[in-house]
Amino acid sequence: MPEPVQRDFLDPAVLGRLMGLPLNSRHPMVGSVSGRHRSPIKGSALEFAQYRKYVPGDDTRRLDWRAWGRTDRYYIKEFEADTNLRLCFIVDTSGSMAFGEEGQTRLDYAKKIAGTLSYIAAQQGDAVGLYSSADGIEHEIPAKRGPRHLGIIFDQLARLEGKGESSLVQAIHHAAEKISQRAMVIIISDLLFQPEPLKEALQHLRFRKHDVGIFHLLDRQEVDFDFDRPTRFVDLEGGPSMLVDPSLIEQRYREAVGNYFSQIDDIMNHSVIDYHRTLLDEPYDQVLARFLIGRNPKTARSGK
Amino acid sequence: MSFLQPVLLLGLPLALLPVIIHLINRHRHRTVQWAAMMFLLDARKMNKGLAKLRQILILTMRVAAVAMLVLAASRPLSGGWLALTGGKADTIILLLDRSASMEEQTLETGESKRSTTLTKLTDLIENTATGSEIVLIDSATLTPTVISKAAALSDLPQTAPTDTAADIPALLQAAADFLITNESGRTDIWLASDQRQPDWQPASGQWQSIRADLTSSESVRLFLLNFPEIQPDNLSISATNVKRQRSSEGLQLVMDLSIRRGDRSEKLEDLTVPVEFTINGTRTVQDMTITGSELIRLGHVIPLGKNDGRGWGRLDLPADDNPLDNTAYFVFDEPATRKTVILSDDSATAEAISSAANAPIDHAVYETVTLSTDLAAQIPWEETALLFWHAQIPQPDSAEGALLKQHVASGRTLVFLPPPIIFPQTEAKTPQLFGFQWKEWTEANRDSLDINWWRTDSGLLSNTQNGNPLPLDQLKLFKSCLFTTEGQDLLKLKSEEPVITRILTDQLPSSAGALYAWGTLPRTDHSTLATDGVAFFVMTHRALDAGTNAVSKAKHRETGPEALPSRTAGVSTLSTTSATSFLSPSLRSGAYEISTNPETSYLIALNRPVSEDILSTVSPQAIDSLLEGVEFRQINDKLGNGDSLASEVWRIFLTLMALALIVEAALCIPPRTEVQKPSIRLSSPNSVK
Repeated sequence: MPEPVQRDFLDPAVLGRLMGLPLNSRHPMVGSVSGRHRSPIKGSALEFAQYRKYVPGDDTRRLDWRAWGRTDRYYIKEFEADTNLRLCFIVDTSGSMAFGEEGQTRLDYAKKIAGTLSYIAAQQGDAVGLYSSADGIEHEIPAKRGPRHLGIIFDQLARLEGKGESSLVQAIHHAAEKISQRAMVIIISDLLFQPEPLKEALQHLRFRKHDVGIFHLLDRQEVDFDFDRPTRFVDLEGGPSMLVDPSLIEQRYREAVGNYFSQIDDIMNHSVIDYHRTLLDEPYDQVLARFLIGRNPKTARSGK
Repeated sequence: MSFLQPVLLLGLPLALLPVIIHLINRHRHRTVQWAAMMFLLDARKMNKGLAKLRQILILTMRVAAVAMLVLAASRPLSGGWLALTGGKADTIILLLDRSASMEEQTLETGESKRSTTLTKLTDLIENTATGSEIVLIDSATLTPTVISKAAALSDLPQTAPTDTAADIPALLQAAADFLITNESGRTDIWLASDQRQPDWQPASGQWQSIRADLTSSESVRLFLLNFPEIQPDNLSISATNVKRQRSSEGLQLVMDLSIRRGDRSEKLEDLTVPVEFTINGTRTVQDMTITGSELIRLGHVIPLGKNDGRGWGRLDLPADDNPLDNTAYFVFDEPATRKTVILSDDSATAEAISSAANAPIDHAVYETVTLSTDLAAQIPWEETALLFWHAQIPQPDSAEGALLKQHVASGRTLVFLPPPIIFPQTEAKTPQLFGFQWKEWTEANRDSLDINWWRTDSGLLSNTQNGNPLPLDQLKLFKSCLFTTEGQDLLKLKSEEPVITRILTDQLPSSAGALYAWGTLPRTDHSTLATDGVAFFVMTHRALDAGTNAVSKAKHRETGPEALPSRTAGVSTLSTTSATSFLSPSLRSGAYEISTNPETSYLIALNRPVSEDILSTVSPQAIDSLLEGVEFRQINDKLGNGDSLASEVWRIFLTLMALALIVEAALCIPPRTEVQKPSIRLSSPNSVK
């Protein structure tokens, strides 16, 4: 019997609040079963899609007789096909994700986001998969449906630990190749590496027609750099440590962060990524609510 | 630099406190597990350069501020400028210009240039160099005197004012000699002077050896304390060529009188000055008007009373900025017979000289005696003012040599004329009388004996009183005898060989008479000296004049250590202005009577050298070139300037400390273009579709 793992990243109260917000895909999804997401394949559901000219071999039951009566031509009436989606998480588990106090690390925050979204997706009948990366692909769980599979995902999330150097870019390329059909890919990472290679990796995902979202997790200290005395900074990914007088480099640090943000923004805009820069002191349920609401076509269009 | 509280300098290591605190602060760092190392690395890359320099500057300013505070608390002393004194010297040599011109003073304080110098140097030594050996060399005696206490400087006879001139090259040479003799170690030489050109003698050949001596000693530093300022309101008076004459109206004194103004500017208003004439104690005042910068009265006549055939007199100006140049002394007596002796076997030469010497220029009695060379023993040495020696030069240790030495040493004039036959010198190393030796006769071939140059500013061939040169350009030489000697050339050929030279030798005292070598003869087959007689006549009478002063019973001399006989027993003062009784009479201007024995008493008037009235000064650039290679510093001072050479300079250090703190504060101010904290946009526009 495997040792039971603690799933403290799941908060029933948060789950209860967020259950009312559906997880929508921004693009048509190709699923294996019927679901609540649009599919690129036209079917016979209730939602009208388009008229198409009749070609021999078409089911005559789908002929629109009213249109024939008006135009004396044969048209087939097509409807949207609804299907389920595959929600794949790529979670960065490099050493830098262990930043933060015990129990409130960046990785803990990532687990909460991944866990909560997994639960919501599963409740919608969507398949959930998980890829974690550190020094290469660490774990890979293909997207599947069902409560049992959700349990496996939760267990794996609970076991994730931040260590080693970041290999998120390789992980994204790997996942892009592995996920065969259109899926929603959510990347949760601190993206603390030079942004150029990320652009190519994200375009790879987009090329495979995946709906990509990113939760960019940052600590406020990392952005503001409010230190008042000399500090030795020990690299969580095992690099050399640095003894720094913050007063000397404070400005340059902020300049560097500013440059980095503008590069990231460029990449996200260029690759049309659903990008969420998230500070760790922000309640994750608010972050998720913003994420889910942003994906709801009705609320997004009305600006709610 | 020295300090009044040197113990406090032990606190100087406190200046390292900012560095230590900085290091401690760095070691008291905290350790943070950090993820965003890439930003730190980027920031550090960007930060190389200015920010680091700024940090170093801040630290330096803090160190400097503490150091300045400690230094200020130690009460540093400095001479004039920071680092002027540089450190304590083992020996301090004070070279004091005691010339009459150094007595220029401000009427407000009564401090003269000399007394200001003494005050400042005393202050400097007492504050910065206690324990150093102090040696004083004054310009009047050139004798080194070791001083036990600097405070005693002003009271020493060696620092009292004199009416002498200063010989700055000799003064520096005396210091250099002292250094070499005593191996004084680290030495500071302080030379205080008023930079008068005649005192500095920039053309003197002595400067070369001074430079060599001073540069050879590495541990010697020379400080020149200069008082080049000239008081424009000062007046100086002098009387020269004083002669007693008998005219149809009775006895009278004839003199050349000169009054000079300190102000040398071109547009000067006429100035009327009351000049007080004192003859044998009887005073009269006469107003004289100076037009321009100088009043010159040639042949000024003062009638004498019937009973005033012998006596003394003085001319006085009202008190002004220099009390030592307000008086001119003179003495008078029955004019001496102007006796010329010609020792020659050549009748033509003797006749030409005799004619020139006997031609009277005033009412004096002229007499010429010609003796053949074998009658040298009959020369009347006591009465002879001018001796022409047209014979072989005697050996120095011979009786004739000794008599010639005595003749010149007593102030009389001697002229060597070339004998017809020059005997080659057998032993080159044999010392010559006066270091003089005839070489050989040369005859003219084309231009070889053409006159090239003659000295017009002084000596036998100087220009006349109205500034006209003697007609020596018309002089033709057919025969000339070359000679070797040390001296001052007066007439030179195109070949640069001298024809007429004033022989200068250390075999004679400084008060000795003039000694000349004439390389040609006043014969028609030798030169046109006798036929174009003007120059020859002037030369002869100038030589006779100079010698007559020695045989006269009323002599006029310039002040100097040997101006009066060394024995003071027979010296009685008739009149003097000097208040310092302990001063040697030779150094004071005045009128004196010398009576070494009852039969032979005579009068002497001592006056400051004429050069003391020349106002031109040497420029700092000229001094730079004179002392090229020597480590020296010039400090120009002013009369009435109360600033001490050694003053407490703690204010400077406090100012520097304040400056360091201000700079530190300025460096600590964050730059205006401070980078704001990066804005965090929480989601991209792509999230709302």
